[in-house]
Amino acid sequence: MKRLSLIFATAALMLFAMGCDKIDINNTHKPFEPVAGQKAVLIKDFTGARCVNCPAAAETAHELQHLLGEDRIFILSVHAGFLAQPIGNFPDFLTEEGTIWYNNHDSNPLFSVDHVDLTEGYTLNVEQIDAPVAAALNEVQLFDITTTTTYDEASRRLNVENNFYPTGDGDGKYYATVCLVEDSIVGWQTIPGGVDREYVFRNVFRGTLNGADGQLVSNGPYYMEDVFTTTSSIEIDSTYNADHCYVLTYIYNYESGKIMHTVMEKIK
Amino acid sequence: MRKYLLITVALALFSFRASAQSFLENSQVNGSFQTDAQYYVLDKGIGIDDLLGKKMGINGFGKVNYTNGNFSAGVRFEAFLPEMNGFRSELKGVGLANFFATYDNGFIGMTVGDIYDQFGCGFVFRTYEEWSLGMDNALRGARVVIRPTKGVTLKGLYGRQRYYWAPYLERDFNDDDTRGIVRGVDAEWDLNQSIPALNDSKFRMSLGGSFVSKKQYDMSIFYYIPENVGAAAGRLNLGYGNWSFSTEYAYKINDPSAINNFIYKEGQALMASLSYSQKGFGAVLQVKRVDNMSFKSMYTGKQNDLDINFIPPINYTHTHSLPSMYTYSTQPNGEMAAQLQVNYTIPKGTALGGKYGTKLAFNMSQVNDIVRDSVMDNGRMVISRPGSLGYTSRFFAVSNHRFFRDINFEIDKRISKDWHITAQYINLYYDIETIEGHAGAPVVKANIGFLDLTYKINKKQSLRLELQGLWENEVHAGYEYEESEKKDYQKRGDWAFALLEYTITPHWSFSIADKWNYGNPVEEYRDHYFTGTVSYIHEATRIMLSAGRQSEGVVCVGGVCRTVPASSGVTLTVSTSF
Repeated sequence: MKRLSLIFATAALMLFAMGCDKIDINNTHKPFEPVAGQKAVLIKDFTGARCVNCPAAAETAHELQHLLGEDRIFILSVHAGFLAQPIGNFPDFLTEEGTIWYNNHDSNPLFSVDHVDLTEGYTLNVEQIDAPVAAALNEVQLFDITTTTTYDEASRRLNVENNFYPTGDGDGKYYATVCLVEDSIVGWQTIPGGVDREYVFRNVFRGTLNGADGQLVSNGPYYMEDVFTTTSSIEIDSTYNADHCYVLTYIYNYESGKIMHTVMEKIK
Repeated sequence: MRKYLLITVALALFSFRASAQSFLENSQVNGSFQTDAQYYVLDKGIGIDDLLGKKMGINGFGKVNYTNGNFSAGVRFEAFLPEMNGFRSELKGVGLANFFATYDNGFIGMTVGDIYDQFGCGFVFRTYEEWSLGMDNALRGARVVIRPTKGVTLKGLYGRQRYYWAPYLERDFNDDDTRGIVRGVDAEWDLNQSIPALNDSKFRMSLGGSFVSKKQYDMSIFYYIPENVGAAAGRLNLGYGNWSFSTEYAYKINDPSAINNFIYKEGQALMASLSYSQKGFGAVLQVKRVDNMSFKSMYTGKQNDLDINFIPPINYTHTHSLPSMYTYSTQPNGEMAAQLQVNYTIPKGTALGGKYGTKLAFNMSQVNDIVRDSVMDNGRMVISRPGSLGYTSRFFAVSNHRFFRDINFEIDKRISKDWHITAQYINLYYDIETIEGHAGAPVVKANIGFLDLTYKINKKQSLRLELQGLWENEVHAGYEYEESEKKDYQKRGDWAFALLEYTITPHWSFSIADKWNYGNPVEEYRDHYFTGTVSYIHEATRIMLSAGRQSEGVVCVGGVCRTVPASSGVTLTVSTSF
């Protein structure tokens, strides 16, 4: 009897000793090093000011950006869906293009990473985001982009010129979308347990300069020495803070929807 | 020689026959079967203008258990072809869901296969199956139970949990299925059984302790996920005369997961219960604190998937239609709860008790959030930031954020030989935003009442009438809402419910009911939900057919809930057991 109890106590102690791994709280993040190219990745964060889980999800996306570098990860907060509807004092960040991209999904937060799998449920849950981001960062960069902005304070007119440089020879139909982004907007946001009336909205998508689908860059074979140029223009809304506005440009394969590269520039 | 051989064979055959006969005589086989089927129809009146390709849902199971002396074994077969609306789509499929074999001679018990068990109140381990929720977190593995001496029970078990129809083989690990292995030990000592002097004592005491650990696989690209996560619990039960006290405390080490947003804080839970009972009177006071105690064998698991533990609710369980519309769902990330239940029976032969006595019951329960304080992470003060400690929380601090409160009072009285009445009043506070995730929706503050009246026509026939009402304090007809938030008001506002049931014992029962959302602030949601039901019972077989509408709601069992969408159609339930 005593032997049995001893065996049981030993097994329990062994389980106790081996059954716990304590992670050093100052070292919870794994080192991550993308292996190929300098391709940047675009996370579209479909969010809403009345979505209680969205701030934590946005935090996760920014955490990834913080870990992997602000020149490699771009976040576009697209307010779309039922929980983005402006009610009472909640801000109105809805856009026509954002609603098209959201494509009648019925929940927030949702993410897309470089438009992964556009044809079927291209959005991902926050818990699933890290692996696609890591995979996208390791892809070969097909195009480089330079963005030049000219902004006239008086008329609030913004002109954008994008140049696209293939990194090698290829073929395909490529479009580019130019987005206006406003950062650090303070407003009401639902959070667990209530409403944060001074929530800081990051990277808010304010619309595109060239439509939800963007405009054609290249159609057919292209060569490394080619340069493709697109121009677009917009008058910045008087309620937007131009000091906090950016232009975000991404080029994507028109057939698959997959984004090939993303850049972001301040407008002034 | 040949003669001896014949005698030997005859004796052997006789002995085998006798032993086979004894074996068969000791054998017991029992089982049960159930099929629930729903046929859906379009019903634009309640907003169902598309069946989304599903005209029918069928959930069914059959289980058979065999017992012979110290040995028992069983199997359960399940079929969801496809699953009924409101059940997880991962259930779709058919197959042998569960099997087990057990040998237990009183001293040692061993089980292999799918194991259902619970340590203490379940804070660190509970596996169970709840058909109405589509929930089954059985542990497929092995268990040993040893009772080395009277009053002492030692348990050890390990295995992997059921995850719908996912295979159990380790080689199948992938990004969507990173289930770990669960290992656990539990010891319980009942002093009244162990110590002869306490055998008949008024004083009762038992102690218990558990340790459970999951071995999971770190598939994360960005975070260091602990591969071994342990949780320990200690419990104490005391009793003296009519008094009883029980408490359990549990602690879990860092367990970043999708549920807690990948924070590394430890988890804690405490529950205590004090009760007193005597003939005609009983009272229970319970308190509970839960902080970051979701414990799953897959760190990416969502909702109720792969729960290793169970956090018991301490709220009144309503069974009538309108009172159960807003049922509290346990919040594993944090809650502070308290409940008081008092039952009193006014004795027979008194002015208020009448000829049969009168039962009175009072219950009050409230759940608030815990207090969370920010922590420093990379030079910033943050709360619940992934990769950080998350927050700190003062153990006894209660947040002002109230999730739920239910104050109810019930009278249950047999008026005469033929008449029986039950009436209840409920005052409800329900934070629908937190509990059901309706962001921005106003809190449900409601008064609810029902009357349940039974009249026995004769020895075989009876009539039962239910009248119920739910009146919201703020949200009702005339409440101003934004057009864009209309969807949030689908079941809000005032309700009325009536049911008439006619029973002919022992076989037949007929009922008609209507649930009417007459006070919904959105005019187009002021719908009637009519249902008609016929049921037939023959011994252990029950057949029930109902037709009509089902309103949107939640089904909760033990604080675990699933959402039920609105539907219209016909439901058939057939169950039997032997």
